[in-house]
Amino acid sequence: MRHLAAALPLALAALAGAALPARAGDASRGAALAEPCAACHGPRGRSAMENVPSLAGQPETYLTLQLILFREKLRDVEPMSTLVRELTDAQVEDIAAYYAGLPPGFPPGQMPPPGAALLARARPLAEAAHCNVCHLPSYAGRDNVPRLAGQREDYLRHALQGYRDGSRTGADTQMNGIAAALSAEDIAALAHFLARRN
Amino acid sequence: MARRRTGGPLALALLALPMLHGLAAAQQPAPAAPAWQQGRPSGMAASPLAPNAPRLTVTPPDRIPVAQIRVPDGFRVEVWASGMPGARMMALSENGTLFVGTRTIGRVYAVTQQDGQRRVRTLLQGLTEPNGVAVRDGALYVAAINRVLRYDNIDRSLDEPKPVELTGNFNLPTDAHHGWKFLRFGPDGKLYLQVGANCNICRVDDRHATIERYNPDGSGREVVAHGVRNSVGFDFHPVTGELWFTNNGRDWAGDNTPEDTLGHVRRVGEHFGFPWCHMGTMQDPEVTGRQCSEFSQPALRLGPHTAALGMRFYTGGMFPAEYRNRIFIARHGSWNRTQRSGYDVVMVSFDANGQPRMEPFMTGLLDGANNQFLGRPTDVQQLPDGSLLVSDEQNGAIYRIAYGR
Repeated sequence: MRHLAAALPLALAALAGAALPARAGDASRGAALAEPCAACHGPRGRSAMENVPSLAGQPETYLTLQLILFREKLRDVEPMSTLVRELTDAQVEDIAAYYAGLPPGFPPGQMPPPGAALLARARPLAEAAHCNVCHLPSYAGRDNVPRLAGQREDYLRHALQGYRDGSRTGADTQMNGIAAALSAEDIAALAHFLARRN
Repeated sequence: MARRRTGGPLALALLALPMLHGLAAAQQPAPAAPAWQQGRPSGMAASPLAPNAPRLTVTPPDRIPVAQIRVPDGFRVEVWASGMPGARMMALSENGTLFVGTRTIGRVYAVTQQDGQRRVRTLLQGLTEPNGVAVRDGALYVAAINRVLRYDNIDRSLDEPKPVELTGNFNLPTDAHHGWKFLRFGPDGKLYLQVGANCNICRVDDRHATIERYNPDGSGREVVAHGVRNSVGFDFHPVTGELWFTNNGRDWAGDNTPEDTLGHVRRVGEHFGFPWCHMGTMQDPEVTGRQCSEFSQPALRLGPHTAALGMRFYTGGMFPAEYRNRIFIARHGSWNRTQRSGYDVVMVSFDANGQPRMEPFMTGLLDGANNQFLGRPTDVQQLPDGSLLVSDEQNGAIYRIAYGR
């Protein structure tokens, strides 16, 4: 296992961007389009609002995919579905490029203090579920897999609950399978642990 | 939209336990690993291999990699239609409208032609993986996960299609994994579809890992083939009428094993081996108890992890005469293989003894040196003029391959 783990970053580098991008989003156009988003998602994509995710530093593919799922009402959550209803594909890609290029993290002073008991509970859970394989050892995410490091803890809790209860699916159902067996306490611990990765 | 995963069979849950022991120890119900991870050996738990991300946005025409596509001498390839993110399975109406199913983006497209101009419509949206499309007697049939819909007089109602709900009649399993459908009408007038295994590898009940046929209204269910892990493409031999099908092999059992296969059904109800036996010769490393010798053999191997999907016999008059009754197969391309494989269209021809053999036909979308792909061929469809359409899910485009000048 040790040599496998050592080889992992290399293998991942080879895998990253396995599909060539169709079109590079334009981050400056995206910045203009994203002005209304700041009211909830925060200036420069770092959210200070409960249950609203930070978008800064998320993988571009993930952001694009989620915006399309909102627009097509395949992820039917208000107010997002209404807000993005009129966006064209190119505008979605521009917004994704803008947020993907921003530095991730918590708004100043918003990082929650560490809870030793929560971290201790979360570590074996994260290890058993292999979170760091798809989300990467840095938890920065890749392609359609979101960044977890620096995400709001309450949002991670909210998302994991949604996957567990079947009220949310991603581009596929893999997170539903992983979350199915988690208790509310497990979810709270994992959210605390994952948000604090860096 | 909320859809429940049905619980995996016990054998599977047990297999998944070692890698999730930490969760189980917290006195929770046994967790279900994502179906695509099931059967992954513990030594590969940290493998970075994972299914490829779909692209759900329009690929601009100047970014469609048609210039990289290679076809044999005498053939040429062009972009026939584009702007259809996620374009997969194709069906042609009597009036020449092409219907195109998708998965993640939940749409069915319609491509119409008038005076040499093609128009792309988003015909349906918001469905759960409406991969299956078929046309019969002027009606479009659409199969999404756990839904079957019929749209009568579809060519006259493209702007306002109205569904007839057939879901209850078909009463298909609700599983998401391998729950998307391939649809095709047989020469017997029956509607054929597959019900894939609801896992990577597991023991399945007799409602899964099948190819089935129904009366068009959803009555008269009959299993045509058992032990077929997941077929996302089949067609009927133009002379014998036999059903030929592609089948996707299991994952996490080696870079080079098992291979995807091409099979044909000689006897209704015959068994092709899943989950005990793969490609006719490979005993499953985990699911034991029955021998390969008990099962029907595939006609041909189609390469490891290549994801052989849509296929059609060629019956047109445009290609050279020897192409008649050959099979074109779209290979969507691998994810569970270190070095990518597939991402092309292959052709299967038959020798004087009827022995099949595979050769490349449309290539160039796999950049092997960089282990990257440029497109994902998903289905093939012959046009009345004898040219061949190929859908590219990754680029939301449909190519047309023609012969001659």
